[in-house]
Amino acid sequence: MTHPLNPAILTVEAVSRAYGARRAVVDADLTLEAGQITCLLGPSGSGKSTLLRLIAGLEPVDAGVIRAGDEILSRPGHTVAPERRGTGLVFQDYALFPHLTVLDNVRFGLTALPRPEQRARALAALERVGLADRARDWPHTLSGGEQQRVALARSLVREPAAILLDEPFSGLDAHLKAGVRDDLTATLRAEGAAVLIVTHDAAEALMIADRLVLMDAGRVIQSGEPAECFERPASLAAARLLGEVNALPVAVARGAAETPWGAAPAPGLADGPAWLLLRPQDLTVSRDGPEAAVTTCRFGGRFSEIGADLDGQALHLHTPGVGPRPGETVRVRADLTRARVVAD
Amino acid sequence: MALTIASPPPGRTGRGAVSPLQLIGILAAVVCVLPLAGVVAAALSGGTADIAATDLIRYALTSAGLALLVAAITGAVGTAAAWLVVMHRFPGRDIFAWALVLPFAMPAFALAYAYADLFDVAGDLRTWARAGVGFDLPIQLRSLPGAAFVLSCAFYPYVYLAMRAAFVNLPVQALEAARSLGCTAPQAFFRVAVPMARPALAAGVALAVMETLADYGAVQFLSVQTLTTGVVRAWFVYGSLASAAQFALPLLGAAALLLWIERAGRRGRAYGSGGARWRPLPVTELRGPRAAAATCYCLVLLGLGLLLPAGWLAWTSLDVTPEWPRLIAAARNSLGLGVGGAMVTALLATALALASRRFPLTARLASVGYATPGAVMAIGLLVPAGWLWSMAPGGSANVAAGILLLLYAYAARLMAAALEPVDAGLSRVTPSMIQAARGLGAGETGAALRVQLPIAAPALFTAGLVVLIDVLKELPATLILRPFNFDTLAVIADNYARDERLANAGWPSLMLVGLALPPVLWLSRKVAHARPGSP
Repeated sequence: MTHPLNPAILTVEAVSRAYGARRAVVDADLTLEAGQITCLLGPSGSGKSTLLRLIAGLEPVDAGVIRAGDEILSRPGHTVAPERRGTGLVFQDYALFPHLTVLDNVRFGLTALPRPEQRARALAALERVGLADRARDWPHTLSGGEQQRVALARSLVREPAAILLDEPFSGLDAHLKAGVRDDLTATLRAEGAAVLIVTHDAAEALMIADRLVLMDAGRVIQSGEPAECFERPASLAAARLLGEVNALPVAVARGAAETPWGAAPAPGLADGPAWLLLRPQDLTVSRDGPEAAVTTCRFGGRFSEIGADLDGQALHLHTPGVGPRPGETVRVRADLTRARVVAD
Repeated sequence: MALTIASPPPGRTGRGAVSPLQLIGILAAVVCVLPLAGVVAAALSGGTADIAATDLIRYALTSAGLALLVAAITGAVGTAAAWLVVMHRFPGRDIFAWALVLPFAMPAFALAYAYADLFDVAGDLRTWARAGVGFDLPIQLRSLPGAAFVLSCAFYPYVYLAMRAAFVNLPVQALEAARSLGCTAPQAFFRVAVPMARPALAAGVALAVMETLADYGAVQFLSVQTLTTGVVRAWFVYGSLASAAQFALPLLGAAALLLWIERAGRRGRAYGSGGARWRPLPVTELRGPRAAAATCYCLVLLGLGLLLPAGWLAWTSLDVTPEWPRLIAAARNSLGLGVGGAMVTALLATALALASRRFPLTARLASVGYATPGAVMAIGLLVPAGWLWSMAPGGSANVAAGILLLLYAYAARLMAAALEPVDAGLSRVTPSMIQAARGLGAGETGAALRVQLPIAAPALFTAGLVVLIDVLKELPATLILRPFNFDTLAVIADNYARDERLANAGWPSLMLVGLALPPVLWLSRKVAHARPGSP
């Protein structure tokens, strides 16, 4: 599915990696395209960091192939060394070298060039991330966001075809995140490299990704555009990865599922048990619809979070303003056009 | 690692009063500083007629040259060994990880005897080489490079240990970042691993240099005139305390400088760590000739530091019948002094560690003695020694006074070495544990005895072993301060060696190795298993 304007820089085909009995990555496929930001999203232990390390060449693959164009970077028994893969890597803790100044850190990977050119390029890279004035400083005197920009400049200055970032925002204070995130994505887009960002934060991934790859238990469970993944999750696990979701057990018969709000279309699904998925914002307190007993209500400013019991099924919904009190009975309406039925 | 009690402890001991425990701690600090003050006083008091300034400069230059050579050799050899063992897998690696520390059991003077004999012009090896190959080995061990070789064999484990700890703690991300930035594995070693471990390298080399400057037995035997041999000679040949102290002064300055380097290096160990997630180091499997070369390298190091010299000493000493009664008496003295010194020093170090929680200056004062060569320490103690000897009526009281002085010198010299493990052990006791004990009715001393000491007991044992090993090998301070006719194994070995009876000197040397080896083994195994994921 490579776009003609976005040539595939790097492809991962059916790659697996196990540590003894633990299978960290199973049969994973992935394509990185030039100028595109791909987010690899998964809970901790889902194998996303391992997949990144496989792509970077820090670990060998047990099965499958990783290619850059026609060149094979990794296959069982053969791993092109990390320094010869043309991939840049930005670590979660940035891994700046404490014994080198900011400028020397950025210059580190440019030894093949004459010294004046090393310096000029490193300064230009620092300029692009807005840190040219800190070139002579030591890494530990920089803030977390600044350190990250140095780490980014250090990778970008080598003009890698693909750049890999491991949890780039996890080390930052919450109030810094938004600003750093915008700076980072702007810089990455300006460079035009293929970008892979590993994260466990769904909101972050949805906001910055051009393409989303969802991982769970070592497998890629869905990939696509963020809105597509969010609106049309392929499974309960995929839906849960991207945010809170109500999952109601339903029965599918002849391409439709029977729900408390009527029939919901379930195209292509075999008859039998399935899940009806509804985000909290797709359920509202209303004058019609089935009755539910309110169990909890938390006022959250813009809306109230309501917990309700619908015939023994716990529901979680959002309603504008101040909600009902616990113990009250309310009617709940669902927007079935936004609902999704997935196989059990 | 300093642990501070957040609030003044409850109970009768208020802010002003000093508990008995703290008093002992302060006393321990004074113990360490007094001899150093003695050296300075003695150096300033005497006339300068006894030694020529040119002699002093010549000796100082020799000491400096020797120190530089040993620093370069141990730095390179120890770092390479640590990198091999930490980052690679090859046959014997798990054994070498701890076995490379074993040369600590070998006194430097014993190495000197063995190699001087082995490479003697009239010795078996050279004779065989001349006759068999028609080629004389161009080796002159009784020279500055020869002494540097011998001392490097003895002291490389200091660098190995420091660098091993640094490499094990190296953040893996730094190495991986270097690789992703275009470095090959060897480039990553020289451009990232070694620079990041620079503080540990400085600390390890500083320890090796301290020992080099303090060595007497080996350089004296190899006829290399250093400041330390100058100190001992000025006292024994000229009987001049002032001259001895004048030789000692530059050593004291060097010691202070080295101590500062070592401590600065230790502080810097935090530098570079703080990685987000702990991951085991990427260990490279060596195969074929590379694996063989790695095994050979470690084997050669261990061989040069322990196996070859100990083996040669054993082989040559088979030619003579040992003077068993004399040797056994000396072994008893060595062990007695070692155990006594270990107990006194560990006890004082513990009091010091506890007191330094409240008076941080005490620990810093005590550590000044650490880098000070034993000969210098002994010279500083000669004034109080003369006073003690004149007080004692002679006979057994004289012996007791002499032994007391020796224990004093060992404690003053090794206090900081013992303080380190004790402090680490005590840091496992949180302030709230002590406060809980105090809240349950224990006094300060009670809390120390019932909570702090039991928790730190293994650390006290470690501290004791460290002191024991060093006291067993100690020579110059023992020579200067020992009571008349009181011999240790080191003293006997030195006596034989002076008379060029090397085969005889082998016996006490080997007995020393035999005594020192079990504690060294115990410590080295402990070091090797100190960290998760390390070999």
